[in-house]
Amino acid sequence: MPLNAATPLLYPAKVESMNLISSILPLENVILDADSTSKKRVFERVGILFENTRHIARSQVFDSLFAREKLGSTGLGQGVAIPHGRIKNMRDAVAAFVKTEASIPFDAPDGQPVNLIFVLLVPERATDLHLQLLGELAQMFSDRTFREQLQASSDPVVIHQLFINWKA
Amino acid sequence: MKILILGAGQVGSTVAESLVSEANDITVVDTSAEKLRLLQDRFDLRTLVGNASHPSTLEQAGIADADILLAVTQSDEVNMVACKLAASLYNTPTKIARIRATGYLEHPEIFSPENFCVDFSICPEQILTDYIRKLIEFPEALQVLEFANGLVSLVAVKAFEGGPLVGKPLSFLRSHMPQVDTRVAAIFRQEKPLIPEGDTVVEAGDEIFFIAATGNIRSVLKELRRMDKPTKRVMIIGGGNIGRRLALSLERNYQVKLVEYNKKACEQLAGILKHTLVLNGDGTDENLLATEHVADVDVFCALTNDDENNIMSTLLAKRDGARKVIALINRNAYVGLVQGGKIDIALSPAHVTIGSLLAYVRQGDVAVVHSLRRGAAEALELVAHGDRQSSKVVGRRIDEIDLPKGATIGAIVRGDEVLMGHRDQLIESDDHVIVFVINKKMIHKVEKLFQVGIGFL
Repeated sequence: MPLNAATPLLYPAKVESMNLISSILPLENVILDADSTSKKRVFERVGILFENTRHIARSQVFDSLFAREKLGSTGLGQGVAIPHGRIKNMRDAVAAFVKTEASIPFDAPDGQPVNLIFVLLVPERATDLHLQLLGELAQMFSDRTFREQLQASSDPVVIHQLFINWKA
Repeated sequence: MKILILGAGQVGSTVAESLVSEANDITVVDTSAEKLRLLQDRFDLRTLVGNASHPSTLEQAGIADADILLAVTQSDEVNMVACKLAASLYNTPTKIARIRATGYLEHPEIFSPENFCVDFSICPEQILTDYIRKLIEFPEALQVLEFANGLVSLVAVKAFEGGPLVGKPLSFLRSHMPQVDTRVAAIFRQEKPLIPEGDTVVEAGDEIFFIAATGNIRSVLKELRRMDKPTKRVMIIGGGNIGRRLALSLERNYQVKLVEYNKKACEQLAGILKHTLVLNGDGTDENLLATEHVADVDVFCALTNDDENNIMSTLLAKRDGARKVIALINRNAYVGLVQGGKIDIALSPAHVTIGSLLAYVRQGDVAVVHSLRRGAAEALELVAHGDRQSSKVVGRRIDEIDLPKGATIGAIVRGDEVLMGHRDQLIESDDHVIVFVINKKMIHKVEKLFQVGIGFL
């Protein structure tokens, strides 16, 4: 499905009040990262995170994200990237949000480096739901006010709330 | 991308040159400060003097952030150790090593992730040998390059006065030979590229690049140039790494004579080469060439490591009647000077081999890269992924694709099937698409075109 902001998204009726992202992004997966200076370091960092919290081998996370990146950059522009990958034997999608201190080259369409990096891991058999997740992310990050709020905050709790409270 | 190149020799420098751009951040490591200074003077990159197999050097060079390691020093051992260190200490995603010794290449298991962690190994000498073997197999061609595991070939030929196609439009080829499907990808006339159209009239001296299923190459060649006699006799000057490999791969199918200056080396060569006549002597000695009937030689290859000697002996051989002469030339300036004159083919080892490295380094799913015309043009095999939404090529007809001007889709390989790049051909996911690009400035655009959009899961 096309991923521009104008795409109407179908929300399951029962989670009407919540967006899809909030269900896969726990507070502990919101990271302020002062050390990472490259795409590779960010992928290593989230690899360790998912290994510790979800018992997914860090190398699996790392390889999956890099393999997807090789087919085309997940840089969105406006300082945002949404790296994603498929993971074998995973049941539900998981996510992490990393805000880096330094902006990182990501081959984004606008040529600008990024510092807002939303990592999405989905099961091997991706479904419509996962495409909807990507769609929602694209829509979220095309919201200028939302991006500015993320840039303005350096508190994981506040950033997490921004994701929870975001409405289309 | 952050790319770390170990070794500033021929291969390292050429690859650095072709990768330097705004999008890439390149660091080159070598033990020679002088070689690095030459590079730094010409290009926007970082250099570091040091031993490439030392963790401290690698760290200083920024390996912890690197996306790709290219270990292309002169030493196989340094290259392998560097890959191993990159994997064990720094988790580098892609590690490529140049490996020359057949002793290592015969045991690919030593490159596995449990051992030396070399993701891809390249052997320039082998690539060159294969390249020259093709030129011997098709003596009328200037270049024969393969795609899709050999299913498709790109062939360059020179149109000559009185040849079957000269003075006729390209559409003639189609009407004349309806049963053989081929496409002319580009024509170079007096060093300048032309975009071929149906009404383009071929002139003598034109360099024509055409693409066809490999099985059809002979019949197309027959149309473009009346078929030259097949090769029978081959003479090779220089029994080094390349000369030896070439003789070994040819000696069962051709009559091969190999001239080597060093007596000791001759004895060793005679031991390895069972069907080759090994001669001790100087390839620039016209008496020796005459005694060995150079006039009857179909293809004469000068492959020593001395450019000047290679040029001189091919000039002599051509004058004395050798049908096709090939000179190996390391210095780039010489290649441009010599090619197309008396010497039929001037081979630059760096340019022949660089493509195999570029394929791994390029963004997107790039299966094969062949650098053409000394790096000015390129032919790529790209794999299309995604669907009509997430890709800019899948689900579209060729004439609906927003290709930059000067880039042509020559053919598509779907499974084992070769489809020519006609305008109404539809592209599917997982197709291997062969694109000819006449100006290297467009390569980035072509790559971008084949990259999937962010919505590709």
